[in-house]
Amino acid sequence: MVRGIKEINIPINRAEGDLEVNVEVEEGVVREAWSVGTLYRGFEAMMQGRGALDGLVMTPRVCGICSITHLNAAAEALDRIAGVTPPDNACRLRNLALMAETVQSDVRQSVLMFMADFANSGAYGEHSLAAEARARFQPLEGRLAVEVIRESKRLVQVIAIIGGQWPHTSFMVPGGVTAIPDVAKLLQSRIIVEGFRSWYESAILGCSIERWQEIQSLADLDAWLAESERHREATVGFFLRFCREAGLDRLGRGPNRYLSYGNLPLPEETAVQGSDGRLLPAGYAVATTVLPFDPQQISEDVSHSWYEQGGGPRHPYVGATKPYASGQSGRLYSWVKAPRYGGEVVETGPLAEKVVAGDPLFVSLVENGGPNVMVRQLARLVRPAALLAPMTRWLEETASHAGDSFYRSVSGIPDGSGAGLLQAARGALGHWVTVQDEKIVSYQIITPTAWNGSPRDEKGRRGAWEEALIGTPLPDVNNPVQAGHVIRSFDPCLVCAVHCLTRGGGGSGRRRPR
Amino acid sequence: MRRAIVCIGNRLVAEDRAALEVYDLLRGQALPEGLELVEGGLAGLDLLPLLERGGRVVFVDQVRGFAAEDEVVVVDREEIVAAGSGHYGHEAGLPYLMAVLPAVCEGEMAEEVTLVGLEGRCSAQTIARAAAISLAIAEGGGPCSG
Repeated sequence: MVRGIKEINIPINRAEGDLEVNVEVEEGVVREAWSVGTLYRGFEAMMQGRGALDGLVMTPRVCGICSITHLNAAAEALDRIAGVTPPDNACRLRNLALMAETVQSDVRQSVLMFMADFANSGAYGEHSLAAEARARFQPLEGRLAVEVIRESKRLVQVIAIIGGQWPHTSFMVPGGVTAIPDVAKLLQSRIIVEGFRSWYESAILGCSIERWQEIQSLADLDAWLAESERHREATVGFFLRFCREAGLDRLGRGPNRYLSYGNLPLPEETAVQGSDGRLLPAGYAVATTVLPFDPQQISEDVSHSWYEQGGGPRHPYVGATKPYASGQSGRLYSWVKAPRYGGEVVETGPLAEKVVAGDPLFVSLVENGGPNVMVRQLARLVRPAALLAPMTRWLEETASHAGDSFYRSVSGIPDGSGAGLLQAARGALGHWVTVQDEKIVSYQIITPTAWNGSPRDEKGRRGAWEEALIGTPLPDVNNPVQAGHVIRSFDPCLVCAVHCLTRGGGGSGRRRPR
Repeated sequence: MRRAIVCIGNRLVAEDRAALEVYDLLRGQALPEGLELVEGGLAGLDLLPLLERGGRVVFVDQVRGFAAEDEVVVVDREEIVAAGSGHYGHEAGLPYLMAVLPAVCEGEMAEEVTLVGLEGRCSAQTIARAAAISLAIAEGGGPCSG
């Protein structure tokens, strides 16, 4: 009997110019998936032989969405090599810039990229919330699609104030920061953050952040949803109702292993509470069992990537990025390497942060039907709730300590190796740097999307979203919105480098990092 | 009238650096008084504030499919918007920016917006020509015949 197997290529618009996902569909269900990064960037090769500080200027150009994150990782790697801990004010300002970038990314991705699919009439014409979804999320027209741009663009002012320059600030340097905003500017930033918080509570949560943080379990979430019309009609409530009716709480399971490098180091003097010296703890979780994070467990496998083969998986300090696209046609299929933790496939991102931090709501959601598309995207949509209050507090603390130091002197970068590991908007980002004679000897970057969108490894195990796609129903292969939901729930970011206006529509085609 | 030239691209990517070469060239020149020159880089949607201060804004960016390799084209606001899909993505560029501007503008919307596009890999002469055209448009001379 001939089975109806169909191979299709899914263009992931609104996510990638240079990401392709190829799937094999049998009887309307995805049976196999391959995630293909189609462009070599080679930042690592670009960095070799350059001055030790050049990563501060060059790596923010890896990505236009999360350039502050790359700057932060580059600066932290050099902090490690120089053996310096930035003073409290520098710590606060670095954190604040990164948080502003993350919060902006979270709301934009959720509304403009993920929930834009809710307005897809072909897929959801029969959904009971279809008309309201279009009214909210229709690109360029939906009221929330417009509102989120208007509100989120103000956060750039915070980055500009803190960075002393915008765009393309390189204000983070080993030892601290170079831009010192005056108190008036810090207070202006606080007003912007508080204004954003007010909108976020009203339009996104439908309740105060404090009320949202009282939700500790799936049962609490359901009770909160039933509690008031305001909760049901705000974005989170609408998102939950739409997802459940569409079955997005049953799609996109993934590896159910999670990695978070942790982030946002706490100043020595601060009222903000965290654990292990950070607002976000580091860890590795198998389901909801959290284990300590060990950076030595990270390796990169190139067995299915277009790089020089041999030698097995390597830690990034000893890894190489040597493109080699000849031969072995079919087995090698991506310019993205396959990062693994302890040899295992993991996912990273806001859900991983929540699970690793032991957030009771998300632990409950993962233990009751998760992980899935809905839970993964919910973690992103509500992440700002955990960041906005610390942002305000750190702005106040910086203003009240404005006379204190923002920089500890670093006379030069000594020979050595260091890693900047942090949680970017999309997950675990690492820069591994080795310096000799003030020159970069090696520079390896593993982006969050490399973790989530990796190809297979030497044991043939699929990457995180390749795995999450298996079993996804595709009732209409010409409108594969369900596969798009799965991939977008990981918030892929392979692009952000090349862009140009293309005649004939279809948007622009920025190309991916790396 | 406020005038600004905003150069967009990534100087670390060969296919996307032409507009930043224009920026570098202009930065080395004595510019007319009051003319703002901005390296817009990869800022995407975050370039919106530059369009909310009225005046005349000239973007310089790479284009694809508008002309032969190594040529300069001048694209008006309507044509920029028409080149977009209406969807937002990490790659969202000028078309999305221009399309969404009327709905989100909180200041004074730019009165005139023009794109000076560079097609493909560009020679030094083309870069210089694009710089001259950008200056001419920014100063109100309209696109030169160059």
